[in-house]
Amino acid sequence: MAISLRDVVKRYRTGKVVVEALRGVSLEIPRGEYVSIMGPSGSGKSTLMNLMGALDRPTSGSVRIDGIELSGLSDRELAVVRRKKVGFVFQQFNLISKLTALENVALPMWFSGVSRSRRMRRARELLELVGLGHRVHHKPSEMSGGEQQRVAIARALANEPEIILADEPTGNLDTSSGMEVVRLLEELNAQGKTLVVVTHDTQFGRRARMRVKMRDGQVLEVER
Amino acid sequence: MIEYLRYSLRTLAHHKMRSFLTLLGVIIGIMAIVSMVSVGAGMEQALRKKLEDLGSDKIVVSPRIAYGTSSILLVDADAEALENLQGVAFVSPIYTVTSDVEYGGETQLLKVLGVDPEKAEETFGRGASSYSLLAGRWLGRGDRYKVVLGYSAAKDAFPREVSVGSRVRLHGREFEVVGVFSKTGDRDKDYSVYTSIDVLREIFGAGDRLTFIIIRVEKGSDIEQVRQRVEERLKRRKGTDKGYFVMTQQEIIQSVGSAYTVVKVVFGGLAGVSLIVGAIGIANTMIMNVTERRREIGILLASGADRMHVMRIFITDAALLGIAGGAAGLALGYGVSRAINLAAERYLGEGVLTTSVTPELAVFSLVFALLVGVVSGLYPAYRASRLEPVEALRA
Repeated sequence: MAISLRDVVKRYRTGKVVVEALRGVSLEIPRGEYVSIMGPSGSGKSTLMNLMGALDRPTSGSVRIDGIELSGLSDRELAVVRRKKVGFVFQQFNLISKLTALENVALPMWFSGVSRSRRMRRARELLELVGLGHRVHHKPSEMSGGEQQRVAIARALANEPEIILADEPTGNLDTSSGMEVVRLLEELNAQGKTLVVVTHDTQFGRRARMRVKMRDGQVLEVER
Repeated sequence: MIEYLRYSLRTLAHHKMRSFLTLLGVIIGIMAIVSMVSVGAGMEQALRKKLEDLGSDKIVVSPRIAYGTSSILLVDADAEALENLQGVAFVSPIYTVTSDVEYGGETQLLKVLGVDPEKAEETFGRGASSYSLLAGRWLGRGDRYKVVLGYSAAKDAFPREVSVGSRVRLHGREFEVVGVFSKTGDRDKDYSVYTSIDVLREIFGAGDRLTFIIIRVEKGSDIEQVRQRVEERLKRRKGTDKGYFVMTQQEIIQSVGSAYTVVKVVFGGLAGVSLIVGAIGIANTMIMNVTERRREIGILLASGADRMHVMRIFITDAALLGIAGGAAGLALGYGVSRAINLAAERYLGEGVLTTSVTPELAVFSLVFALLVGVVSGLYPAYRASRLEPVEALRA
């Protein structure tokens, strides 16, 4: 299994109010699967996504990424899991504005200790892969939304992770560049990456082989 | 390490104005330290040079002026008693007074040194960078109402230049100018007048009093041993070892050096206060930085950074701010120091106040600025590293 969750509960405390974002979620995502997670806002999609990407810890229950149980891990070990196993794609692209496309893509490899020359070479290859070989030295502010999201996808691939987690990757894009991003992600899935997409876009969501519907912090149904 | 620097340089360049404002505190602090300490160091260097001019084989006996009335009197007999000591090559008693000197209808107050005319050349004319004659001759055996003038005393003190053969009036008596010294660059020396000790004391009714004694040690003798012998002899004669000092040139330099260390520390301390303000500025900006860059921290964490990476990134930022401020402050401080130099030269005369930015001072100020940066960046960096990824990304 690429990702498996068992009885996962996540509670947040905001001031005095305790919000229960996830109330016992169990889910198995096999390797190479193409999964969409849909549901109204506040249904716990993003929380689920963060847990699957080792960005957060569950209040209770078990999260395994590529067989690694996260509950016993230190912050540092969690960072290693993020580095090696997961690539993130966000709705707001989340590129670092002071860095060029090339440097943004190379960033995750910095933390995994790849030498600078190898980093830059691979970053360039990845940008070519997403069709941005001609824009490597541009800063995010000099690129369109679609281009920025492709840079983000290239960055997600930097450390050759098993899993790509995309949180509303088309949410800030127009239809055509959104489609391009969808195609790019699906291509990666076709090459063997496990792809998990959180989306509002039912058109997009329906394309996945495994469709998870959520409501009120619980999995409503899983379609295959 | 280089990667962190690269990253921090990007950050600095991205927020130029804010970086500059943050730096201002450090820049001003370091500038103040560099310029103030350079004044102290310059004074010290000037004094050292002056003392080195005395020659490294000399011992000076002088009353402690600071003791005021309790200071003992040195007289001719004291000097004579030192002559036959083992290792002493030469004893030259000096009497100095500040006197009115008149030339061409103009009267000036100048420092006058009375020396045994026969010993004048040997007393002042030997050693590394001592006097040399520009015109005329040294004082010599039997010279009474004769003077040799320092360079400025001849050229600048009076409306008309005084030349060899001219006559000046010293405290009402007429003296013939037999020589003029070349410029030494030492204002004190260049404005001095040299004459016979006996004549000078007669005019001022000083009897057999001395202002100080210069002793030269025989070649091959241990200067410290000779100094001890001189000290013992004087102690026996005076019945005390208080009220005067017997110092070798090296000791004088050391004692002067420590006096100026105090000056430097006081000046440096004052400047340090402004540096603390600068440090608070950096800390403040860095803390704001952490709040403002939450999202960036989130991105870093999502990209696989751990807390140490984040901490190092922020410390490097602060260190870089510190060292950049240090470098700018050093450059400005050097400028200020040069300006003080030029102003002092113009308004006070050459060699009165020189400033000096020593390599040690330059290195110290850079290291200090770096330290200020790192220390003030520690807490903000710690805060940055404690952020939870999810929280940071939500910003």
